[in-house]
Amino acid sequence: MIAENTQTQMRKGILEYCVLLIISRGEIYASDIIAELKQAKLLVVEGTLYPLLTRLKNNGLLSYNWVESTSGPPRKYYTLTETGRAILKQLDGTWEELAYAIDTSRKVTDQQSKEPTNQTES
Amino acid sequence: MKKTHNINIGNSIIHIEEDAYEMLTVYLNEVKQHFSKNADDFEIVTDIENRIAEMFTEKLAEQQKQAIGIEDVELVIQQMGSVKDFETSEEAAGGELPGPEYDPIKKLYRDTDQAMIAGVCAGLAHYLDVNVKWVRLFTFITILLFGSGILAYIIFWFMVPKAKTRAEKMEMRGEETNLKGFANSYLQPFAVQSRGFVAEFLQVVGGFLQGSGRVIFKIIAGTIVFFGSIFLLALVVVLAAFLGFWNSDVYSYFPINIVNEEYLVTLTLAVFVILAIPLLALILFSVRVAFNGRSSNRVLSYGLLVIWLAGVVTGIFYVAKISSEFKEGAEFAKVTPLKSYPVYALNIDRARIFTQEDSLNYRIDANGYKDKKILNDLDDDFNMPESISFRMEKSMDGKVSMNTNYKSRGKTFEIALKNAQNIHYDFLQADSSLNFSPTVHIPKKANWRGQQIELVLNIPVGTEVKISNKFAEFLGGYNYWDCKQEDDDEYTIWVMTDSGVKCKYERLKKEN
Repeated sequence: MIAENTQTQMRKGILEYCVLLIISRGEIYASDIIAELKQAKLLVVEGTLYPLLTRLKNNGLLSYNWVESTSGPPRKYYTLTETGRAILKQLDGTWEELAYAIDTSRKVTDQQSKEPTNQTES
Repeated sequence: MKKTHNINIGNSIIHIEEDAYEMLTVYLNEVKQHFSKNADDFEIVTDIENRIAEMFTEKLAEQQKQAIGIEDVELVIQQMGSVKDFETSEEAAGGELPGPEYDPIKKLYRDTDQAMIAGVCAGLAHYLDVNVKWVRLFTFITILLFGSGILAYIIFWFMVPKAKTRAEKMEMRGEETNLKGFANSYLQPFAVQSRGFVAEFLQVVGGFLQGSGRVIFKIIAGTIVFFGSIFLLALVVVLAAFLGFWNSDVYSYFPINIVNEEYLVTLTLAVFVILAIPLLALILFSVRVAFNGRSSNRVLSYGLLVIWLAGVVTGIFYVAKISSEFKEGAEFAKVTPLKSYPVYALNIDRARIFTQEDSLNYRIDANGYKDKKILNDLDDDFNMPESISFRMEKSMDGKVSMNTNYKSRGKTFEIALKNAQNIHYDFLQADSSLNFSPTVHIPKKANWRGQQIELVLNIPVGTEVKISNKFAEFLGGYNYWDCKQEDDDEYTIWVMTDSGVKCKYERLKKEN
C-alpha cells in the first residue's frame, strides 16, 4: 500500500512534466497526448488526464483553442502559455537535479549490494 | 432484438442499446459525483463526455454498425478508467482527499413494480424506509378525512416520476448507483415500462374496473335497476290511466287539451314507447353489469329498437299535425259601452253567471239555477296558460267603453275564428266597479289553440282607475309595483292623461 502510494506520487509528478513536454512541441489534441503517454506507459486510464489538463489550464500553464474536426464536433487543442514555458524550464532543471540525485544514490546502492554483508532488497 | 436510445453526448447523436445506455448513465453519474468536489467538475466531465463520444463514433465507424452495445461501453470505461482509478491517482496528488464515501443518494420515485394504483405509496415507502402497508394505511385514513388523500395522491402521481431505468430504481431503493450496484441489480428481473401518463392512467382504470371498481359499478347498476323498474311501472300506470281507466276530465286540462281527442290514444302510446324503451334498455344493461349476465338477445334488442323508432316517427307525425292547427290566427272584437264615472275600480271576481255548459259539467238542472252566479273555486284554471291581458287607452269621443278581443289560432282562418267565438269570458259592471273573471273558458271538448282575451278599456282624459292587486297580474306594460304608495296597499290608482295612462301617485309627487 505504501509502495503503491509512493509509486503514484512519483508518477503523478512525472506525468505533469511529461504532459507539459508533449504540449510544448505545439498545438495538440487531448487524445494525441493520451496516445503518447500510453506508449510511454505513463498513463493507464484516460480519465486521469482530463482533471490534470483542466488544473494546468486553470493555473495558467495551458490554453486551448477550439478547432473544427472533420469527423464530429470541434476539438480542444492545447498549447503552452508563457508561464507554462517558464515553468517547464524550471521543471527541466528540477528533473536534471532529480536524475542526478537518483543516479548518485543508485550508484552507491549498487556498490553496496555487491558487498556480501548486505541484506536483501525489499 | 434490443431497444435502442438516441443520446446526445458531446454534441454527437449516438444510437445506443438499452443495457449499454443504462451502464453508461451509471458510469457518467459516478464520474460526475466523483468530480463534484472539484471546482472544474463541469469542464472535466464535458471533456470526458466529448472523448467518450469520439470513441463511440470511432467504434461505430470501425465496426460499421448502427448502435453502441454494452461491450463497447465496457471497453470505453476500461480505457477511460473507473472512478477507482481516478481516486488512487488523486489521493496521491492531493494527499488527504476523502474517498467517495458519500451516502448513497436516495430519490423519490414511483415504484410501478409494487404499485397498487400508480406506485406513489410504494415509492414513498422506499423513500421513508418504512413498510409500504403503513404508507397505504395512512393514505387510506387521509382519504376518509375529507378525501384530502386523493388529491395528494393525484398530485404525487403527476409530480413524482416513476422509476424507469435500473439506475433510477436503485436510487429509489437507496442503493449505490455505481457499477458494482449496477452489476448486482442486473441479476434482478426488471421490466421497462415507458408509456405516457394517459396510457398508464387508462390501464390503471381498466385494472380498477376489473377489481374493486366492479363492486361500485354493481351497486350503481343495482340502484339503476331498482329505480328504473319503479319508474317503468309508473309509466305503465300512467299509460293505463290515459287510455281510459281514469276520469276523462283529464283531457280538458292544459296541456293535454292541446291534443285532439282522436289523436290522443295513438300519441300517448307513442310517447310511452319513446320513454319506456330506453328505460327498459337501461335496466337490461344494468342487470347485465350487475349480475354478469350475457348480452341480451339480439332479436329482442333490434325489435325494441324498431318499436322505439316507430314510436318516434309516430310522435313526430302527430306533433307536426297538431302544430299545423296553430297555423292561422283570427280575432274578433266586442265593444261594450260603459256608464261614465270619474273613477273606476277594477277587480277580480271569481263568481260568474251560471251557464248552460256548467249545468252539463256539474250535472245540475239548468233551469233551477238560471241567471244565478256560481263561485269558481279554482284560483288558476288548468284549462289554459296565461290568456288574459288588459290595457287602457284614451277615449277620443269622451265615451267609456270596453273592447274585448277574442283571439285564437286554427288550421284555417275559419276554424281559428270559430275557436275564437267559442271563448267564453265574463266581466260585470256594478256602478263604477268592473269585476272580471279570472279565467277564460273554452268548451269542454275543445282543444287549446292559443285562445286569448285582450281587454282594452277606453276612458276619457282625467278618468281615474283603481286597480286591485289581484287584477294587476293581467296588466301588461305597466309598472304596477312602482305605482304603489305603500307596500301593503290593496290597489293602485292610475289616471288617463293626454299622453296616455300615468300613475296618479307619481304624478302627484311631481306636482308637489
